[in-house]
Amino acid sequence: MGSAARDDIEFRSVTKAYGAVTAVRNISLNVPKGAFLALLGPSGCGKTTCLRMIGGFEQPTSGEVLIAGSGMNGVPPYRRPVNMVFQHYALFPHFNVEQNVAYGLRQMRPRIPAQEIKRRVGEALEMVRLGGFANRRIHEMSGGQQQRVALARALVNRPSVLLLDEPLAALDKKLRSAMQIELQTLQRELGITFVLVTHDQEEALSMADLVCVMSGGAIKQLGAPQDVYDRPADLFVADFVGKTNHIQATLEADGRTLRLPDGSALDVGAERNIGAGETTLAIRPEAIRLTPGGEPRGEGFAGTVTHRIFLGSSVEYSVSVPALGDFLVTADRSTDEGQLVEPGQSVRLGFDPAAAHLFPASHAAQPEGNTHGQQT
Amino acid sequence: MANRHKENLPITAQGFMDEFMRLKRGSVTRRHFLTATGLGLATAVMSRVPGAISTPAYAEDLGSQMSIATWPNYHDPATFENFKAATGVAVEVNVFGSNEEMLAKLQAGATGWSLFVPTNYTIATYHKLGLIDELDLAKLPNFSAASENPRFTKEGQIDGKTYALPKNWGTTGFAVNTSKIKAPLTSWKDFFEIAQGEADGRAMVHDYQLTTIGSALVSLGLDFNSIKPEDLAKAEELLIKVKPHLFAINSDYQPAMRATDAWMTMCWTNDGAQLNRDIPEIHYILGKDGGEIWTDYYAIPKDAPNKAAGYALLNYLMDPKVAVKEHTANGAPTTDSRVLELLPKEIVSNKIVYPDEAALTPLEFGAAVTLTDPGRAELMARFKSA
Amino acid sequence: MVTAMLLGPAAAWLVVFLVLPFIAIIVFSFGERAPEGGYQPAFTLAQFANLGARAAAFANTLTLAPIGALACLLVAYPVAYYLAVKADPRHRMLLVSLVVVPFWTSMLVRTYAWMYLLGGRGIPHLLDLVGFSDVRLLNTPGAVLLGIVYGYLPLMILPIYVSLEKLDRRLLEASADLGAHPFSTFFGITVPLSLPGVMTGIALVTILLLGEYLIPQLLGGGKVFFIGNALVDLFLQSRNWPFGSAIAVTLVAVVVMVLLIAMRIAWRVAGTRQVDLM
Ligand SMILES: Nc1ncnc2c1ncn2[C@@H]1O[C@H](COP(=O)(O)OP(=O)(O)OP(=O)(O)O)[C@@H](O)[C@H]1O
Ligand SMILES: [Mg+2]
Repeated sequence: MGSAARDDIEFRSVTKAYGAVTAVRNISLNVPKGAFLALLGPSGCGKTTCLRMIGGFEQPTSGEVLIAGSGMNGVPPYRRPVNMVFQHYALFPHFNVEQNVAYGLRQMRPRIPAQEIKRRVGEALEMVRLGGFANRRIHEMSGGQQQRVALARALVNRPSVLLLDEPLAALDKKLRSAMQIELQTLQRELGITFVLVTHDQEEALSMADLVCVMSGGAIKQLGAPQDVYDRPADLFVADFVGKTNHIQATLEADGRTLRLPDGSALDVGAERNIGAGETTLAIRPEAIRLTPGGEPRGEGFAGTVTHRIFLGSSVEYSVSVPALGDFLVTADRSTDEGQLVEPGQSVRLGFDPAAAHLFPASHAAQPEGNTHGQQT
Repeated sequence: MANRHKENLPITAQGFMDEFMRLKRGSVTRRHFLTATGLGLATAVMSRVPGAISTPAYAEDLGSQMSIATWPNYHDPATFENFKAATGVAVEVNVFGSNEEMLAKLQAGATGWSLFVPTNYTIATYHKLGLIDELDLAKLPNFSAASENPRFTKEGQIDGKTYALPKNWGTTGFAVNTSKIKAPLTSWKDFFEIAQGEADGRAMVHDYQLTTIGSALVSLGLDFNSIKPEDLAKAEELLIKVKPHLFAINSDYQPAMRATDAWMTMCWTNDGAQLNRDIPEIHYILGKDGGEIWTDYYAIPKDAPNKAAGYALLNYLMDPKVAVKEHTANGAPTTDSRVLELLPKEIVSNKIVYPDEAALTPLEFGAAVTLTDPGRAELMARFKSA
Repeated sequence: MVTAMLLGPAAAWLVVFLVLPFIAIIVFSFGERAPEGGYQPAFTLAQFANLGARAAAFANTLTLAPIGALACLLVAYPVAYYLAVKADPRHRMLLVSLVVVPFWTSMLVRTYAWMYLLGGRGIPHLLDLVGFSDVRLLNTPGAVLLGIVYGYLPLMILPIYVSLEKLDRRLLEASADLGAHPFSTFFGITVPLSLPGVMTGIALVTILLLGEYLIPQLLGGGKVFFIGNALVDLFLQSRNWPFGSAIAVTLVAVVVMVLLIAMRIAWRVAGTRQVDLM
């Protein structure tokens, strides 16, 4: 392996078509060694297809996938230095836990001595905290335990890349959070490149150090979680990653004055380089300040609270603003002086224009028709 | 169809279906084939449509329907059509694979038969079990005891009473394809020797203990009907020695002979005549050391639901003009000299059907005890499973 | 009450068509043969004591039935595998029905077709044309085996097909992913997980073969003697019902044992008790 092996995974103009359906469209992507990449996107956007092309279960229609610098076209799964944790774990029902974990080691040539296999399987089971379960049948294990068996079964082979296809989807919320932390810790300790497929944006943001947002078979944005969240490349990413409020407006020729639907003007602080005309302003719920009491001529927009969702450390309000529509506002309880606003009360909404993102109105279709983005 | 075997046609679907239909109709052999294939209880309804109007040619009311139990392809179908035309009685024909099956059915009761066709050695058993009635010869004016050969009426009579009338007789010899086997065969001794030599893998014996064990006994100079354990032990030894050399133990031998899969087989008269007619190089030979002679009879079951019609049909069949058609159809020799006179010359002069008296002399009728002897049944089972 | 009414007809059916005949056979098996054949009441174990007289038939059947089932398996597995795994899913149902189609014709007709094909006017005739004269195929043990494989193939293919069809493809991918060569995947994953189907097929075919008499009779020329043939002879020829019944009862006991053994094996290998044999 030469210096080209700096990237563990590389996609070079990869397209994958199933008959008339193009699942992946001309994707190019580099994943550095030791990275934790999350493939994020709505259902059917091609995440699994990408993962399966890395695993070798699908061959690109055109382009090439490289693993550790070598081209993988035509290389079958059993000759690739990657292992996969399948969505429903795909554990072998006729083997017990130990036999499942040992399966990969048993396939290795030259053969690994039985003693050595036993030791490594034991280690792998310890690593996923299943030390005492070696002789259990698979159907005697809980969902979370099965998930960890699947993980051990993949990791025991010391792959250079671990692929995870929605490994936590079947777990309840609490177990899922716990597993997220475990996975992250494991990845840091082992230094193996992880590619995680998920359609849960919170999971992607919290676990990965590189997030790849996909839509319609193409990559919309690739970057660190904060970058993707704070500087979404387009309206789709803004909507899909986190929650977003939209205001339809018109950007005037100066590039910084927005004409709002109620006729008022809003200065967005600095000139935006998107061209004048129909524009969508996107603002995160936590970037909006909510002030009780609705003097009609104060700063920001006057509105009425319609719903309140108490989340413990924070509160979500739904606020109806005449002519602009409904806004979602998140108030952090450490800064709102502990005072809750009641539904029906008049409030004023304000935000720092610098925190708002402007996108040309025609830039992206609404993903899944949800103006507040993905609600998990 | 008659000459199809000579043309050596390749396999065709049509050919197969012909073959199958022929077998299914049972025109090949009558006894064991049907048993073996499970078709034994098949019922062929030859004229089931009830007569529109009964022709009152008979004094008694004959009803409109009766049924008969007989052997496959043993009658001229026109016989029953004509009987129906004359009497208004439709005849349902049930065909059987073996005497044993027929007996079992009758013993179980409620067969609905008003006439049936048992073979000579079973009549004593039917009588003993009380399954048949003495015949009222007054109702059978067409029967002529005087023109019958007493050799063939004998077993229909028990204690001087007539229980059954002969239909036809026949022999059990063997058929040899002389284009395949050059050695001359004249006896059962020859048969079993050649079966292990020139005809190795090409000879067939019946799946029927009476004839197979009987012929083996005869070849050893023993009695065809013997049930003596020491005789049977010798026959068993011979049969088990021959078995690995046999092509088959099967009473359905015509197809194999016609396809020249088998070159030599134990054979009944009518099959011998048919094979020889179609393939002249197949000869039918009676063992000079012995063998079987048999007669099939007509009898009326005690529980016959329509005895009047049974008598009427039996009387009709005894009419020489009717019987001659029956014999022409099934090819077996007649017991009645009146019929013999009416038969065409080429049939009467056929030495297979009507052998010289000298050839018949060593032959024996099968006996009732021979058929039911458990020792022979067990011997046959050991032979087949060896 | 309603359940009783619903179950009533089924129970009656079972009693009349399954239980009663079986009771009759058990009763017969303790009886004696009447002098003219058939059954006469008695209570004797003589029939069972005499089972040795058909030891050869039992031996033939108990060796040929499993051999036949295994030969069937060797042909059926690749076919079932092709149908369930390799065949284009669009054509799959068509191909599966083609497997079943021969079953619409009676076994008798199909066996006769083979008699014709193996007989002198069939394949031997074609061989004769290319210079191999007097080849004998019919009435050989090979012909019986062929008839058995051909006749019972669908019964072996279908359960194996079903278990292969149910097989989770992701397990095969997981195996490949873990570095297993397709060969190892086949023997390490596919075969063990299709074992319930295999055992169902083997049990089904073996049990039916234990009662087979047509194929040995027609393609073996009556020289291959199964228990089925012994039963036909005993009931229809020598009319020894009690002995035939004793053999039938023994055969049922053997069948039950075969079933239990097959289920044991399937359970053990597939690691689950969810094995449906019938
Ligand atoms: N084997 C296949 N044959 C035909 N079309 C397929 C096949 N596999 C996937 N597709 C199509 O390709 C597209 C991408 O599928 P893919 O499974 O990669 O989506 P995904 O992003 O993983 O979605 P999800 O979140 O629902 O799992 C979809 O439109 C899907 O219908
Ligand atoms: Mg997916």
